[in-house]
Amino acid sequence: MKLLIVDDSNLIRTRIASVVEATQMKGISIVGLARNGREAVRIARVSRPDVVTMDLTMPEMDGVETIRELMRMPDPPNILVVSALNDKSTAITALRMGARGFINKPFTDDELRLALLDVCNPN
Amino acid sequence: MATLTEDDLRLFVDAVKHYLKATSGQEPEITSAFLGDANVTGHEFNGIVSFMGGYSGQILVSMPQGMLRELLVLQHERNFTESNLLDAVGEVANTLAGNARKVFGPELDISVPTRLRGAQGITARVRERPYVITFRWNRHPALVCVDLERR
Repeated sequence: MKLLIVDDSNLIRTRIASVVEATQMKGISIVGLARNGREAVRIARVSRPDVVTMDLTMPEMDGVETIRELMRMPDPPNILVVSALNDKSTAITALRMGARGFINKPFTDDELRLALLDVCNPN
Repeated sequence: MATLTEDDLRLFVDAVKHYLKATSGQEPEITSAFLGDANVTGHEFNGIVSFMGGYSGQILVSMPQGMLRELLVLQHERNFTESNLLDAVGEVANTLAGNARKVFGPELDISVPTRLRGAQGITARVRERPYVITFRWNRHPALVCVDLERR
């Protein structure tokens, strides 16, 4: 299963990657790290990730617009939103647009791991 | 413009506690919360997020280098360059601002973070009467400055 990590913070990108690698989440390989939505769409078109972790507040192209673009792709990825925006309407908007899960910042390693497992195994 | 209520400000105090508890397992000690003036003196690394929409203003997070290095270690990061320390303090500001939407709602529009190095970095940014929350985490002093008004 191919994972793309999208966040404008290097700290968060590295943290998500290290949680995936440190816990040896079975079958997940990281295919890209993107700093904004434009990079994410460009990488996704080439690498065709199965799962994407998606920040919402980003420069150039925000997470909502990026989800919209990714959902237009054939076989769109399963998207886990990882955002500090913790109001209900933001979560509902992201889910309506096609995201499969939502986790708030700040998060613990266990919370992230569980949320990723849920999105990787939606059934 | 209308000023914030005590409950509004408690939200930010709770958000600081929650952030550090979730990322480090250790809550900070809140050392003071007061209505400051335009001469707020911060620490070396500063993250700023601006508010728009139904509100105007900003939240500023100011932390010393030692605190940020310890927070990075706890988040599996071994890169302690200036760029990464600034990224980290910007992410704290982004998280505190984003968490405020739980109470203020989606009309609280927030910017991507701006990062500044230098203890005087926030002095030029605050308006006349900001709310200041000071705290101590793992021996390190730090502060959050909430400069926010309802339109």
